[in-house]
Amino acid sequence: MSVVVDNACTQIWDALHGGASVKSLRVSPAVYDVVAAARSGEVARNYPLMLLGLPLVADDDVAIYDPVVN
Amino acid sequence: MLTEEENEALCRVGPGTSMGEVLRRYWTPAFQLGDLPEPDCPPIRVTILGENFVAFRDTEGKLGFLDELCCHRGASLTLGRVEGCGIRCLYHGWKYAVDGTIMETPNLATSTFRERVKHGAYPVHEAGGLGWVYLGPPGTEPAFPNFSWANAPAGEFSVSEIIMDCNWMQAQEGSIDSSHVGILHLDTLATMGSGPRSVGSFDFAGEPWDLDMQVPGGVRRMPGDAPRPGVWPSEDNAPRIELETTPFGFHYAAIRDADEPGKKFVRITAFVLPYTAIIGGSNGGVIVVPRDDYSCSTIGVFRLPPGTDRAVAEERARRGIDPAVWGPEPENRRLKLPKQDREAMAAGKSFAGFRGGNRVQDGAVQMSSGKMYDRAKEHLVPADLAIIRMRRLFADSIRLIEAGHDPVGIGVDYDSTQVTAVSTIIDADQDWRDLVPGHQGTREPAS
Repeated sequence: MSVVVDNACTQIWDALHGGASVKSLRVSPAVYDVVAAARSGEVARNYPLMLLGLPLVADDDVAIYDPVVN
Repeated sequence: MLTEEENEALCRVGPGTSMGEVLRRYWTPAFQLGDLPEPDCPPIRVTILGENFVAFRDTEGKLGFLDELCCHRGASLTLGRVEGCGIRCLYHGWKYAVDGTIMETPNLATSTFRERVKHGAYPVHEAGGLGWVYLGPPGTEPAFPNFSWANAPAGEFSVSEIIMDCNWMQAQEGSIDSSHVGILHLDTLATMGSGPRSVGSFDFAGEPWDLDMQVPGGVRRMPGDAPRPGVWPSEDNAPRIELETTPFGFHYAAIRDADEPGKKFVRITAFVLPYTAIIGGSNGGVIVVPRDDYSCSTIGVFRLPPGTDRAVAEERARRGIDPAVWGPEPENRRLKLPKQDREAMAAGKSFAGFRGGNRVQDGAVQMSSGKMYDRAKEHLVPADLAIIRMRRLFADSIRLIEAGHDPVGIGVDYDSTQVTAVSTIIDADQDWRDLVPGHQGTREPAS
């Protein structure tokens, strides 16, 4: 997760520096499952899974270590 | 966030653990030289990276750093006699030199054992008021990191150590977290007479509350004085974070809107793996060293202006600190949190309610997370980029060590004397990297 979070955070700052807005974070289903398992309490309360302040979206087209900021 | 397994790997430091193996490949600051002031003075027990050691200064002034327990029957050498260029165990009189040579075994007449076996001994390097040790495999010591204060005359730096009862990562993450400064340390900034006067909907009411608290540089605004905006020239509590990886770790800038139009306030921190944050505006650094999995030492090393009176500097270092909370004496270095002043908080005179300055405020929140925080529960934000990058570099180092390589920052050529930090106002369109050219010069050439 340390690599995934670092790559995502760097992308977010790059987007913000470029004046873009960021709305969601697409990750591989494997990463999504890891976050869901770690945040089981939030899942049980029906809270959305979020990372770095962005909603997480599982996407089969995203590689494990290459999350995509939208 | 980290998984439970990643968090365990990051936090545990004992022999054989992932991070323990990484950290043993760097020089580690282990004790204050002031605790071993003269030849043959009493030895001290040192706990670092989950192991206990004895440190002593022999008759010739050489430092020894040995496994604590006598290799005969395990009595503590911290009880021993320091004499005749060695330390002698009280139990059966076995005597050891600084390099671990077993000099005498009074209850064993033959010399075969002591000629063939040595006691565990580790290289020691004296620098910047600290004894640094190398606990890695013999013969693999890296070059010593000569920070700018390391070779300064004894009167030109101050060293202070606080022992905190929490895992070292909680303190280390705080040392590279610029976005908390204008919030947790609002009382400090108010005492300095600068910076923001509010956090969210909280507004300061009237004058600062803890006028005795320690403030960076010792400058403070007394009641009735005009504000001193140049000290922390921004009211921006949401800094933009920019970071660049370097051979020694990384440097990063917290960039805030400055009070002056067309300018920005940049606060650059250099993080030198694995222990040291050199902090812009502080003229020194903070070193966080794990004692064991549940306690750590935070060591402040700060350069003093040439000609500073030592006694005055030491007195200033004690200012505003209640001895019941913490003190520089070896037996009083463990931080005992003071009572929070809820009345001052409710009256709007204090944000955090802790007297004693930044280090007490930091200690309060970092220890409040428990002995070892579970990072699966955290919700990081982009402002935590430096913390996120540090964890990644440690994770990279774990992988490198497991693959038989050096960890990040070891085996690369950089000039540690040129690693600096800055806190200043620059033009809005200027690149902050211009302020730390030594970092650029030490960058590895692109392959």
